[in-house]
Amino acid sequence: MVKLIGAVLVIVSGTLFGFYQAAQFANRPKQIRAFILALQRLETEILYGFTPLADALGKIGQQLTDPLKSIFTEAARRLTDHRSSVTAQESWQFAVEEQWKHTAMKQSEKNIIYQFGFTLGTSDRNDQIKHIRLAINQLQHEEAAAQNEQGRYEKMCRSLGLLAGALIVILIY
Amino acid sequence: MGVLSMKSSTWVCIFPSSIQELLSKLPEPILDRIEEVRVRQERPLELNYAGQFHYVSRRGVLTDVPHEGYRPTREDGNRLLDFITNHSLYTMEEELRKGYITIQGGHRIGLAGRAVLTKGHVDHLRDITSFNIRIAREMQGVGDSIIPYLLDFRHQTVNHTLIVSPPQHGKTTLIRDLARLMSTGQWRHPEAKWKGLKVGVVDERSEIAGCMKGVPSFDVGPRTDVLDGCPKAEGMMMMIRSMSPDVMLVDEIGRPEDAEAIREALHAGIRVIATAHGGELEDVLRRPVLNKLMSDELFQSYVVLRRSGRGMSRRFYDARRRLLHPDGLAMKGGGMDG
Repeated sequence: MVKLIGAVLVIVSGTLFGFYQAAQFANRPKQIRAFILALQRLETEILYGFTPLADALGKIGQQLTDPLKSIFTEAARRLTDHRSSVTAQESWQFAVEEQWKHTAMKQSEKNIIYQFGFTLGTSDRNDQIKHIRLAINQLQHEEAAAQNEQGRYEKMCRSLGLLAGALIVILIY
Repeated sequence: MGVLSMKSSTWVCIFPSSIQELLSKLPEPILDRIEEVRVRQERPLELNYAGQFHYVSRRGVLTDVPHEGYRPTREDGNRLLDFITNHSLYTMEEELRKGYITIQGGHRIGLAGRAVLTKGHVDHLRDITSFNIRIAREMQGVGDSIIPYLLDFRHQTVNHTLIVSPPQHGKTTLIRDLARLMSTGQWRHPEAKWKGLKVGVVDERSEIAGCMKGVPSFDVGPRTDVLDGCPKAEGMMMMIRSMSPDVMLVDEIGRPEDAEAIREALHAGIRVIATAHGGELEDVLRRPVLNKLMSDELFQSYVVLRRSGRGMSRRFYDARRRLLHPDGLAMKGGGMDG
């Protein structure tokens, strides 16, 4: 009886793990897409709104959903906190480091977004726009790659989880 | 002095921690009197106060030997620029063209670096490596001894006045205080009993009121409207048309269009208090635009300020530039910003 319960638990957890992995594959392009849209909004704020960086990041953060929301709002919070005296670069990169684990995105997107922090807020509008567009461009490449991976691995992961669970059960039963 | 100490702590916050640490080691009385902090990349950190200058050493003490001074690094400069632009350099394009930024508290930061030209005109600055942080101090009361001489009892208002002084001798501090006094109706004269006037301040360089997001950082009075960051001549015309001020204050006039706007104000029945750079009235007379205004006797009063080691002296002249009160009394309060 105990053996049977154990076997069911192994299969269930294997299946759940497979579903979780599949969800990561499905979420990655979605989140990259959302990030691109957020950067486009930042571009508008900078180009037409002359909005100070902290306000712009906060505003964009409010319109997003987690986990991206917390990257923007966390960066904005650090910038408005007068006691912390951090630069725009530091607060952005810190927020990315801090919140990245909650996203489904991978190292290559992280590098792009992290690099983007180096120029954030430190040059005139034209230059800012160029850097934002560059980041968007790079993210679009990642998005295409992520969609490709999603098509290939999403379904496979789901069935693989169940099968792996079943395999473990067969091996140790 | 309590207020000053509180204020001084706010401007120290804009510096990167390496410089903040050095400044915080300085004795409080010096910190309260600092007028300028000059940060130049790879060259010693300099302080100006009470007409003298000193370098700040790596241990946070004042020195006169340049090579003992702390040399701000490139990183220090970048951080300072990031803080003073509120992390958003792109919102400061106009400021970068003019070469200075006004930050919270009304402090003005002059910048120097490499100019980028478009069609022969300065477009903006890049590689900014020199910063001149001019500490603005609100000195309520500096206008107390001056305002009684500017009153126009017949019309229950103030005279058209030109305030003349060299840079750094307290012009801006004075007209800020005059705005407050006129707006609240403190005439400092037993026979002047009328109420406060509507005051319009055209603050081209955000120095008089030190506006942040349109709200004055200094007390400029309850009936004062501030047109912030607006070119003087255009601003004066806008004020005349839209805000119906009784008195208008402008800093550092001198261009032909300024004179035109002052004449316009006069015809609209608005009193103007303006300032001009110069050591003596004769210096101002040599400038064609001001000369014309003065020879037409448009100004009814002149105030000439001069700061000496022990305090301020001021002299008053009437419309025909005759010396009115040859007392040259010392005013209280030495350190003022220009």
